[in-house]
Parts: sequence; C-alpha cells; structure tokens
Amino acid sequence: MDAVVKFTSQSQGRDRIFRATQYACALSIYLLRNKPDRKDLVARLKSLENNLSAGRKLLRLGNAANSIVAAKQTMQLSDRVLGLCLTVANINRALYFICDNVVWARNVGLIRSIDKERWSINASRYYLFSLVMNLTRDLYVILQLMQQKGRDNRLKSQHLSDCPEVAEAVIPELDALIFLLLETLRSEPTVALDTVKNICDLFIPLDRLGIYKSSAGVVGFCGLISSLIGIITLARPTLRIKP
Amino acid sequence: MDSWVRFNTQSQAKERVLRAAQYSCMLLGYTLHKSSVSTDLQRTISELEAHMSLTRKLLRLGNSVEALQAAKMTIHLSDSVLRLCLTIGHLNRAMYFACDNVLWAGKIGIISKLDQQKWNHRSFRYYLFALILNVTRDVYELCLLLDCEDCYRSTKSPLSTSPSSAIPADQLSSSSSSSIPVTVTPAVMWVWLRKRIHQVGTVLYNNPPLLLDLLKNGCDIFIPLDKLGIYQTGPGFVGTCGLLSSVLSIVTMLHPWLKLKP
Repeated sequence: MDAVVKFTSQSQGRDRIFRATQYACALSIYLLRNKPDRKDLVARLKSLENNLSAGRKLLRLGNAANSIVAAKQTMQLSDRVLGLCLTVANINRALYFICDNVVWARNVGLIRSIDKERWSINASRYYLFSLVMNLTRDLYVILQLMQQKGRDNRLKSQHLSDCPEVAEAVIPELDALIFLLLETLRSEPTVALDTVKNICDLFIPLDRLGIYKSSAGVVGFCGLISSLIGIITLARPTLRIKP
Repeated sequence: MDSWVRFNTQSQAKERVLRAAQYSCMLLGYTLHKSSVSTDLQRTISELEAHMSLTRKLLRLGNSVEALQAAKMTIHLSDSVLRLCLTIGHLNRAMYFACDNVLWAGKIGIISKLDQQKWNHRSFRYYLFALILNVTRDVYELCLLLDCEDCYRSTKSPLSTSPSSAIPADQLSSSSSSSIPVTVTPAVMWVWLRKRIHQVGTVLYNNPPLLLDLLKNGCDIFIPLDKLGIYQTGPGFVGTCGLLSSVLSIVTMLHPWLKLKP
C-alpha cells in the first residue's frame, strides 16, 4: 500500500495510470463495437475515455517547461549522437506540449479563432518526430552494445564460418546477427523496454496523421502496452533507460 | 525553471494550482455577473470552472488511501488531543474523498441514476467535520503556545508581573462587594482582552506554520458552510476564500518549513 501511495503521489504515476485506462477503454470499445447488447457499456466506456483524455490535456499544461529543462540537460551529454537525439526529441516534445495546450484552450473556449484540426495535426507531427528521435537513440545504443558483444563473439562466428556443414555464407552471418541482437536485448532490458514502448507509441501518431492507418483496436492495444511499460519503468527505476 | 519543474512533478502541486484556478474562475464569474458582461464569456468561465472541478475530482481518485495511511500514522502520536483531532480529521477526509470519487463516477456516467445532490451534501459534510477538527487542532496548538508564553513571561520577570496581575484580580474579586469596581471592571476586562489579543498576535507572528494553517482552515471552512446552506455567503466570497487558501497551500508546498507538523 505504501508503494501504491508513493507511486500515485508522483504526477507522472497518475498520468500513466490514466493513460493506461484511457487506451484500455479504447481497446474495449473496439472489441465491443459489434455487440448491440453492450451498447450501454460502450457508451459508459466512451464517456470515461473522453473524460480521461480531457483531464489529461488539462494536466499537461505546463509540461513544455519540463521538456525544455530536460533538453538543456541532454545538450550537455558527453556522447554527441546521444545528446543530439535526446535534445531534438525533448525540443519536439516541448513543441508537442505547446500545440496540445493550444488545442486544450480551443476545446474549453478560451481561444476561439484558431483552426483546431491544424494545431492537433501539428501536435501529432511533433510527437511523431520526438518518437522517431527516441527510436534513433535506442537503435544507436543497441548498435553500440551489439558491437561490444560482437567483439566477444568474434571467435564463435569464426568457428561457425569454418564449419563445413554450413549451407550458405550469408545465413550463419544473419543467424549470428539475430542471435547478437537478441542477446543484447536480453542482457539490457532497459533498452528493450524503451524500444518496445517507442514502437508501440509510434502507431498512435502514424494513425492520427494518416501515414499508416491501423484500426482503433491496434491503436488502443499499442497505447495500453506502452502505458503499462511506462508504469513498470516508473515503479522500478532500475528498468528505466538512462540518460 | 528548475523550481517549477520540481513543483510540477508533485501530484498535489498540480491539484493545488488547479484549485486556485478553479476558485479564480468562480470569483471572475461572479465579478462578470455583477458587471453584466456578455453571457458568452460568463458561460465560458463557468464551463472552464466545471472542467477544472471534474479534472480535480479525477486527480483525487485514490486519495482515500493516502488519508487512511496518514490516519494510521497519526494514531501513534503521544499527545492525546493531537492524536484524536488528526486521526479523526484524516478519517473524515478519507470519507470525503470516497464520496467525491462516487460523485466523479456519477458525473461522467459510469454510475447511472446517482443522486448527485445527496452525495454532494454527504461529501461536504465530511469535509466540514475534517476542517472543524483541523481548526480545533490549531486552537489547541495556539493554547499550548500561549501557556508556554505565559510560563516564560512569569519565570522571566516574576517581580514585575505579580503586582500588576494581583491588582486586576483584587478589583475583580471585590466587584461584587462595592459599587466603584463595577464601573472599572469592563475597562479592566478590555485591557485584559487587548493584552490577550496582543499575546495571540505575537505567538502567531512567531509561528508562521500555525498562522498559515489557521488562516487556510479559516478560509476553507466557508466553502462547505456555503454549500450546505448553513452560512451562505455567495460565490464571490467563497471564490475569494478558496483562492486564498489555495495560494496559502501552494506557499507551504514551495516552502516546506511553513507546513505545520505533524
């Protein structure tokens, strides 16, 4: 119970729980869409989802400042590639939050003279860019780790290529590569979790922008998985990728 | 910027800022209503207030657990009055949050056919009890500090205080026997009252956490009193009190030494 209280007293903790619930509702609505006897339940889930989405938008006011501070910190990283990826990702996140705040202001009627759809699309675009930068960083970290592991496994692959039972030269190389990738991901769960989270999150803006239209069910499922991973990394800080 | 980030990451901080904004909207709505501004703007402000209220209710989901945890901790306090006030105060808060969560579920449609008025009254009743207990605790702390102050003063200068304290007592005791002290008594009482008020002021000035907590609870108490119809003051006054108490609690969050402990 203490752990629950500690988790929920963090602002991010509550937001992740709301996000997980929101996407669980979206997924449930998709699964129940063809059941006429569950119309009442679907209506309630829709209301809950809308309410959670609106509430989370309000709670995101002021988060742009957090991202700007994070960008200032990542600019000072020693690894240039990492620093570049994370700084650009944080700046894009800040821009996403600003657009999101403008959409909120339009929704509540504080600003009336703006094109809500355009600002919403811009928000999704910046969110997509920040996810792409995060994935680039994950790829970079994975490649570095694979290189490190590859140096250790060089002898093994050398032995495999000398072996006469091997059919083609390309297949054992591919096998070794996949084996190396899986080994890297297995030994570094932080990177694996972050990669899976970012890939799942990617489907949301891709669908919203019409670049890769998947169903509402896929979006809901991916959103739910990424939110659950977010909750796990928040509850267990050792599983969170650093920096 | 850094202090904003630190402040923002606390869940309670966001809730307090939203509360301040909500009561500002209430106050603004009342002011606009008084000055007969366009109904469009008034509607926007009241919708914004309702949106913030609903989001705060969303943020409060699960606060009952925190209040119960706090009650579990305060039950081990050594001072019996503090133990009683704080524990029952936390339990009332837990009940208030539980009713509030039910209200949220009813407002967004998860629970259909909910008597919102009844549950609203119920939640405000628990909130009022919790505030009364908080004020009782503040008054108790104040009395303890006043006693300390009296003890300190009497030990510091026993010769100077005893004649002055003896004279009013003599005059008071002889008031029933002769007619002359009867006219003096109200003045003596007035002097004593002024001295006491000055003492209270000094004690509060020297104890900012107690002063802030008393002010905060004093402001907060008008909200349930108005909503339950016990002492109706109107949206302008309620908005002002709500805004003031929210600002005070934001100040205690920014400067943790200003928070009254336990």
